[in-house]
Amino acid sequence: MIYSLYIFDRHSDCIFRREWHKDSGKKAGINDDMSKLIFGICLSLRNIARNLTDSDSFLTYSTSQYKTHYYETPSNLKLVLFTDLLTVSLVNELRQIYETLYVEYVVKNPLQTTEVKTIDNIMFSMGVDALIQSLPGYA
Amino acid sequence: MSKVRTIGADVWKHKTDKVSLELFTLMYGSIVSQLCDDFEHDYTKVNQQLDKMGYNIGLRLIEEVLAKTGLPRCHSFRETADAVTRVGFKMFLNITPQLGNWSVDNKQFSIIFPPGTNPLVEFVECYDERARRELWYSNILAGVIRGALEMVQLSCETEFVSDVLQGAAQTELRVKIIKVLEDEVPQGEE
Repeated sequence: MIYSLYIFDRHSDCIFRREWHKDSGKKAGINDDMSKLIFGICLSLRNIARNLTDSDSFLTYSTSQYKTHYYETPSNLKLVLFTDLLTVSLVNELRQIYETLYVEYVVKNPLQTTEVKTIDNIMFSMGVDALIQSLPGYA
Repeated sequence: MSKVRTIGADVWKHKTDKVSLELFTLMYGSIVSQLCDDFEHDYTKVNQQLDKMGYNIGLRLIEEVLAKTGLPRCHSFRETADAVTRVGFKMFLNITPQLGNWSVDNKQFSIIFPPGTNPLVEFVECYDERARRELWYSNILAGVIRGALEMVQLSCETEFVSDVLQGAAQTELRVKIIKVLEDEVPQGEE
């Protein structure tokens, strides 16, 4: 089961958020504070991993309730995906979202301001939906 | 390093859309000449504007580089320089400029275009004496590199120090790293 996707830009602002299975998943209402916490935990874990291994090896963490998949580009765009515990690593899919959707529809969109504030782009969100919903672990 | 060498060529061959070089060169030429008109031949302003345009291009262009090459973070500025010339220039302009003139502390280097290798100046001749002295015709490249490197946390200064169009033996673009940008954290958080 896939719960939600967050994208943070290099200024650590949350520029995209999407939730699936709102009712069946956790009931917690997700607000701005939540996205800050998510950013914080991912950044902290990444920094710990960096200190320990000297490379960007932080990819995922799990709790008893959910699993988080993390992908960061060298341009400091961070993608965070929440799923249940049964889901296999989706880091490659996050990479795919960056390569085929973010770059194509957001970065190359001439109407998009250079510093992305929020992604308000139907092609992008439809693409994300389609990709996520096609995954075997979606439902 | 050898990987970097092949990635650029590979991406250029298989993953990029191509346009006619003449079309590209002429289009860039008309942009520059339009800017010269718009700023009433104040070449300092033209240089600035080209740099700014390039900067905005660079901010976006780097994402395409990263997406298509999957390059990891560079570990040294020398690696970065290699990636800029062998991957960046190769995949967008199909040229590999030379690197040189490294400063002792490895914080400055030059990207060197021997005569005839810079596609932007293919058909360009500069008759105006003042333009010959003051205009950095390819200044957009300086902006592109500055913008692209900033997105990978490298704050740099870039400027042309010589240009074939100004009568120099080669075109030289100087890149100087100012600092490595820290990760930004949300305001009010520790």
